[in-house]
Amino acid sequence: MKKLTAILLTLALALTALLGLVSCAGTEDGEISVFYYTNADTYISSVRTAMDKILTDAGLKFQNYDANGSQTTQTEQVTTAIAKGSRALIVNLVDTNSDDAAQNIVDMAKEKDIPVIFFNRSVKQSVIESYDKCVFVGTDYEEAGHMQGKMIGEYVLANYDKLDLNGDGKISYAMFKGQEGNQEAIARTEFAVKDANAILTAAGKPELVYYDSSNANKYQVDQNGQWSAAAAKDYMSTNLSRFSEANNNMIELVIANNDEMALGAISALQELGYNMGGESTLIPVFGVDATEAAKDAIRTGSMIGTIKQDAEGMADAIATVVQNLLDGKAKFESVDSEKVVGDWRVNIPYATYLGE
Amino acid sequence: MPTETKKQKNRIGLWFEKFRAMSPADKRRTITDLLFNNAMYIIIFVAIVYVAIRVPAFLSVSSIVNIISLTAAKLPIALGIGGAIVLTGTDISAGRAVGLTACIAASLLQMTSYSSKIFPNIGVLPLPLVLLIVIAVGALIGFVNGFFVAKFKLHPFIVTLSTQLILFGLVLMYLMIGGNNGQTLSGLDPSYTNFVRGTLFKIGNVSVPRYVLYSIILTALMWVIWNKTKFGKNMFAVGSNEEAANVSGVNVFWTIVMVFVLAGAMYGITGFIEGARIASISANTGLNYESDAIAACVIGGVSFVGGTGKISGIVVGVFLLQIIFVGLNFLSVDQNMLYVIKGLIILFACAIDMRKYLAKK
Repeated sequence: MKKLTAILLTLALALTALLGLVSCAGTEDGEISVFYYTNADTYISSVRTAMDKILTDAGLKFQNYDANGSQTTQTEQVTTAIAKGSRALIVNLVDTNSDDAAQNIVDMAKEKDIPVIFFNRSVKQSVIESYDKCVFVGTDYEEAGHMQGKMIGEYVLANYDKLDLNGDGKISYAMFKGQEGNQEAIARTEFAVKDANAILTAAGKPELVYYDSSNANKYQVDQNGQWSAAAAKDYMSTNLSRFSEANNNMIELVIANNDEMALGAISALQELGYNMGGESTLIPVFGVDATEAAKDAIRTGSMIGTIKQDAEGMADAIATVVQNLLDGKAKFESVDSEKVVGDWRVNIPYATYLGE
Repeated sequence: MPTETKKQKNRIGLWFEKFRAMSPADKRRTITDLLFNNAMYIIIFVAIVYVAIRVPAFLSVSSIVNIISLTAAKLPIALGIGGAIVLTGTDISAGRAVGLTACIAASLLQMTSYSSKIFPNIGVLPLPLVLLIVIAVGALIGFVNGFFVAKFKLHPFIVTLSTQLILFGLVLMYLMIGGNNGQTLSGLDPSYTNFVRGTLFKIGNVSVPRYVLYSIILTALMWVIWNKTKFGKNMFAVGSNEEAANVSGVNVFWTIVMVFVLAGAMYGITGFIEGARIASISANTGLNYESDAIAACVIGGVSFVGGTGKISGIVVGVFLLQIIFVGLNFLSVDQNMLYVIKGLIILFACAIDMRKYLAKK
């Protein structure tokens, strides 16, 4: 019996090892290595699906890596891929706060003379320009915040009296930030309010007011840095236990850094009978990303708007640039010239999404 | 323990008699012991009074209902993990187990009209069936954990670390099924969201969500299992001394397996509730849930020493963590302080807890 278990266990281990080998079979020279900062990110998953399809259709061999949110893991994955003989690196950098992580990857690639394309998570211009076969494909990280702010400003202006539930002439808002120390989260948190205020004051209306005057930060942040729906839900429920129509200080507008958090806030509102469609009172909620779930919420009327990041467009641009670099053509050949910035980056534009 | 309750009055009387007969030094020690042993209740009381003075709305009906709802939402997973801690173990796969079961529940209960439904051909399954499925999946995860712990005498930390990784992989794969492409699961059928977060009853104009009731039922159930069944007694016996339990005829293997199976079933139920409560389920759902649950158990006196712990303690532990969360929010305290305060509370709670055992020795 003991022996049998031992044999079974050994077999299981052998099988697992085999599974690992099989799944990375065919890894001879010449594959493209794609590094994602985490497979758990909804938006990045859309990019990954689009990229897998484009690369497969183009007949290019590639290998995906998941850094699971750790720069250490990612750097080790890059070293391994280079050692394996990768012919191009496509990197969704984990650590956007320091230039060192990106520079380190650029230097490694430069040594082997293979192209590096960074995408989605921002990398400084000086780092990109330190190597001629390096390009950044991304979005202008401030743009989403600006567009969200414009969308909110216009919506609030058009529906001002309806939104002002307590009739004090001001609109109070709640803000949910995805993560501390993330460039995009910081920009979205700042510009969503700033730009909306600019539109409101231009029309002679007072600025938006953060619902809790004692909170100097003017936002609530996901403690785990995961931009998660659960964090926004717990915050919003707690906020609504104190700020309500009955107390005449109801939160009249909800702004979230991403759609996940927007949906979490909606769940809290719905628990109290808001945003249920039909006769129920609507507290406008805004997000960013245009995930399928958010689009559906907008369709059913429980959410107002989001900002669309074009996942297919991004994957497409990356694949084109990689091909160009591999074939020795000009970097940005057959990339829409409007999207090209200088000699270092391609900007994929955002779009406002208020429903179809 | 009904006999003890009957004797309680008598016991308090006896205690006072004994106390009066003590020397001043003994009296002082008895008082400090009493304060230390009930430190959690005192801390909770002080915290509530402090926050309520600063922000009176803290004690409004809607705020109390919110704290109770948050406690109810985080209770089932802690009740499950508590058993593993009684066995001197732990379970760090709990959060991912909640994540996987939440994904399964949400995917099976998406509206038929939802455009990116993960299983477009199955319609909306009946709620009881889905509940059974997630409980079964949770129990299966628990079985795997328990089997490896009991059979190979592996430390639960390492077993559940492995299953945690496996489960995360499964969650990511599950979310890629069909045309879902790793997208957030949403568009849940109203029957499901209503069943979980619909109104149970109203106090004034404040509605209490239904999951509060489910949490109370689960707590009662776990209380009965822990205190009134042979399995519960065996669990404590194995937790305090495995050898002794074995010698006195307890089936140690099955006791350990069943503790984890029970815990897994609780994670399944948590996943089911969480699915509708958050209504937006992604690969991040459940992340770190176990750390709060373990902290709550330990704060509530379920000791890593093994063989001790009460259901009421777990409820108090979860409740205290929610008081901290809501209280600091009401006070608009810098959010970074939340980590520090939580860390300090866990540290002190454990130290106070261990002090009891050191004193005994």
